[in-house]
Amino acid sequence: MTSRERVFAVLSGQQPDHRPYMPITMMFAADILGVKYLQNIRDHKTMIAAQIKTAEMFGFDHVSTIAPTSEAVDLGAHFQWFDDQPPGIIEQEALLADKSALTRLPSPDSVFGASMEDRVRGVELLRQRVGNDLIVEGWVEGPCSDAADFRGMNRLMIDFSDDPEFVAHLFEYSVELATRFAAAQIAAGADIIGIGDPPSSLVGPRMYREQIWPFHKKLVDAIHANGAKVRLHVCGNTRRILADIRRLGCDLVDVDSPVPMEQARALAGPAQALIGNLDPVRDVRNGSPESIQESLEALQQSGGERWIVAAGCEIVRDTPHENLHAMRMFAQSHTAESVAT
Amino acid sequence: MIRSEGLYDAILNGDAKKAHAVTEAALAAGAAPMDLITGSMVPAMDEVGRLFETEEYFVPELLLAGRAMKSAMELLRPLMAMSGEKLAIRIVIGTVKGDMHDIGKNLVASMLEGSGFEVFDLGADVAPDKFVAAVEEHKPQVVCLSALLTVTMPAMKRTIDVLQAAGLRSQIKVLIGGAPVTGQYAKEIGADGYSDSASGAVSLVRQVVAEA
Repeated sequence: MTSRERVFAVLSGQQPDHRPYMPITMMFAADILGVKYLQNIRDHKTMIAAQIKTAEMFGFDHVSTIAPTSEAVDLGAHFQWFDDQPPGIIEQEALLADKSALTRLPSPDSVFGASMEDRVRGVELLRQRVGNDLIVEGWVEGPCSDAADFRGMNRLMIDFSDDPEFVAHLFEYSVELATRFAAAQIAAGADIIGIGDPPSSLVGPRMYREQIWPFHKKLVDAIHANGAKVRLHVCGNTRRILADIRRLGCDLVDVDSPVPMEQARALAGPAQALIGNLDPVRDVRNGSPESIQESLEALQQSGGERWIVAAGCEIVRDTPHENLHAMRMFAQSHTAESVAT
Repeated sequence: MIRSEGLYDAILNGDAKKAHAVTEAALAAGAAPMDLITGSMVPAMDEVGRLFETEEYFVPELLLAGRAMKSAMELLRPLMAMSGEKLAIRIVIGTVKGDMHDIGKNLVASMLEGSGFEVFDLGADVAPDKFVAAVEEHKPQVVCLSALLTVTMPAMKRTIDVLQAAGLRSQIKVLIGGAPVTGQYAKEIGADGYSDSASGAVSLVRQVVAEA
């Protein structure tokens, strides 16, 4: 099997030859190539070189154009830029610090600036470079992430209660923007679109169900309609919203380390493909090949048949290489049949 | 000590307008600011913290409760300043240099303030010399440092080193927190403690101040 066939097998409920291995790498991949992270996210050729080199070095089954903020950058949001780490939103100067500015944002179909265009070119180049061997993953921001970038995280959390109508309008805008961005990446060759929406894990189940879920569902359905698989990445503690996430119909759902995989599997059901969830710092960076092997053995018992090897979130930049090799060796030496019955 | 049920409920329900109005009315009726803090606000935020720990409240509810508490404190602070009343424990808190993430720090600051401590929140992306200046100005017993990114964790050590170089380290306890931070890391960089939760931070502050 090629990597692409292996991952598709798990997503469609078929038997792969062994476990797929798909950790998220951003700053780590830039370090592998020896470039600053800012260059990595501003130049798709650099990002693609970093992704391919990292995937080859550690035996990943996918390459990705994951990087936050493209949509917000093209809308003119104010970021604090750093040379070698992710940019941070300047909340005091947020694009929508004044809520009325939402009505003055350009139409989502006219927002396609240099940053989003660069990311689409990245997908195109990845497809050319890896052919059909590896999964090519595109990426969009989910409605909560966009809203946090546009409005500020603290304001958004308060807005959920103070002004739910505004939040709904903001999410409508974000989903329209993400749908168009995803469609362009799918047309460029993406097999799967990751939706990154970490702030969703900060709210309770009722708020998620009533105020976020409908927009996640709309985006998931739109990506499917455009012909790609969907991965939902909500890091943090999603235990209380996983039962609702299950109803979204995602092809792959990330589980971060705060959620015991056994609970995640019970909540998501046996048919949902899950990915994760070693702790990126405590298990993967601070662990050893032996401890990682032991943790993954335990994890796969609860992960079940439709489970992909990865950390719960991004591989941190100073992770020992031997630990990532240990994860690869585990994945390549285990099949779904390794699960004890 | 008499509890103002109205103030307690307003904070618990995250109703800032009601918290302000109830506090105003209580003061007009002769309530002492410190009684309102210890009798109503601290118990309310204790309950908010408990509900957060048991996953009945989440980040929005905690921020709303914090906002309600602040709206009451806005009325109490000037009165306390005039009468010379001071909260016993003072804390300087901030997200370290290079890290723009402040929601975790804000949750901790709210819980600390709601526990009856005086909190000086320096915000996000705070340079070490700003922590030094804040310690010199406010004379806190505790400094809390937050980081969400592994790449900004070294700024915690730099901040501690700068506090040491300024001759302030022995006067304060330094506590750290944030998703990638561990107890082991706290030991490695010479911090006095680490907490993985907002309510844990409250207990830790009480503990290190009691031990000092």
